[in-house]
Amino acid sequence: MSGLVCGCYLAKAGLKVLMAEQHHKPGGYCTSFRRGRFTFDAAAHSFGGYAHGNLGKIFKDLGIDNKINIKQHDPSNVITSPDHTVSFWADIDKTIDVFQSVFPKDADNIKRFFNFLTEPDSMSFARIRSWTFKDLLDKYFTNDRIQAMLSFPLYGNGALPPSRMSAFIGARIFKEFLLDGGYHPAGGMQVLSDALAAIFKEAGGDLRLSTAVKKITTKNSEVSGVVLEKGGFVPSLYVISNSDARRTFLTLLGKNNVEQDLKDRMARMVPSLSTFIVYLGVDQAATTLPVSGVNYWYLSQYDLSTAYLSAKKGDFRDMGRYLVHVSPDRSTVIAFMNAPYGSKRYWETNRIVLSDRLIKAVEANTIPGLSKYIVYKETATPRTLQRYTLNHAGSAYGWESTPFQLADPDFRKPSFIRGLYLTGHWTTHGLGIPGVAYVGYDTARMVLRKKTHNCQKMLN
Amino acid sequence: MIENIEKDIIAIISEVSGYEPEEITPETDFFKDLEVDSIKAIEITVAIEKKFKISVRDEDVPKIATVKQAVDLISNLLENKKI
Repeated sequence: MSGLVCGCYLAKAGLKVLMAEQHHKPGGYCTSFRRGRFTFDAAAHSFGGYAHGNLGKIFKDLGIDNKINIKQHDPSNVITSPDHTVSFWADIDKTIDVFQSVFPKDADNIKRFFNFLTEPDSMSFARIRSWTFKDLLDKYFTNDRIQAMLSFPLYGNGALPPSRMSAFIGARIFKEFLLDGGYHPAGGMQVLSDALAAIFKEAGGDLRLSTAVKKITTKNSEVSGVVLEKGGFVPSLYVISNSDARRTFLTLLGKNNVEQDLKDRMARMVPSLSTFIVYLGVDQAATTLPVSGVNYWYLSQYDLSTAYLSAKKGDFRDMGRYLVHVSPDRSTVIAFMNAPYGSKRYWETNRIVLSDRLIKAVEANTIPGLSKYIVYKETATPRTLQRYTLNHAGSAYGWESTPFQLADPDFRKPSFIRGLYLTGHWTTHGLGIPGVAYVGYDTARMVLRKKTHNCQKMLN
Repeated sequence: MIENIEKDIIAIISEVSGYEPEEITPETDFFKDLEVDSIKAIEITVAIEKKFKISVRDEDVPKIATVKQAVDLISNLLENKKI
């Protein structure tokens, strides 16, 4: 997604751009696949930040709105625990009312918390850069339950508990995904990626699918081009990598071309957890499906730090922490839960068992009678995610978005190699569709500034 | 010393913003003139901390809005470090 957005801006600005994608379809985690009459979104299944965030501006700039039909599902997210249910609506006042009616003792705190998140001062989040999301919640709430209900979607959308999640990133996810969320393109997420690919090609861009980059070449500490697995050497003034950061530096650029300090830091840095996904094609007679297009979250207990540690260890004794989503056409159901990379043997042993247990948990808490409506079933493990995207260990969100791994300049534009830029969720600058789309837009702006300057220098 | 700090700050701002060093003066407003947003403000701070081996308080991040302000803040922090 980030590479597509970046490529579109650069091609539309008149640059000669080659986009090499190792998969046979564009989009990374924002793709769909077909099985018979069913179309499944592979990983990303809705997005936010469209009406009130940067994504709206980006899509308008690129003319996406003219190509696809985007619908907002309202409510966007419903969170259920054994004791409470809360919903996030497009109307923020309605959302505040919901939370205040469920947690009346915290009515004022809820109002103050939402006011902070919607403050017009764009620098307000920068003032909490070293905070965790738990620090932010503690400023407003002492009630563990409301803290968990407010942060569970961040646990799903960033694979971190509030005690580890950066408050800056958490607040942005909250604002984009929960307060302006629930958007879905008609036809599935692939429609969005395909539309971006079409815009790129219409602007003169050269998109090559099933074409992995083998090497980023350099000369005198400056990029000189890339070597494609199929197609040989392609010279270039700028190289923008939307690939996994370790792969970009250690494999494509080569260990010898990377500063030791960065190699040491990468060895210490923690990638985000991956996801285990169950894709279900359901009978059209399924009458118990909840409202389509909505993200339904279920949490069985309120301690998300323990949930994180259990997921990290692959301890799934408690299956009661998941997200389930019914596609807008009501033909498919997708269920997600955070999961570790795990060995090949681990997933061979556990894939079916976990799939069955996750379906049972969804049936018990969200969709009664789900099992009897299933006509097609498939699963994706972290290894599947890694195979299709080359994300390290099938990581779902790049580096963990902790305060210690936030906004590192070397993961945007490494200082030791001129002309190399990174974009996407490994940059430590943002995650989720709005986050990575913005990084893609901003990367294009940086390249275009450099290009304009170089042209002016040549003309002078 | 201040001149060196200023040169280093301009190099950092140039890397993070994409604007060339010659486009950045001591009075250039990062937010208004260089389109620096909140995540880039944090990135600038991280780069400054790494370069000068200092620690910038969270509340000071939005106050680093010009090269001059950055130089003043860094000079003070380096001075305090000596003490």
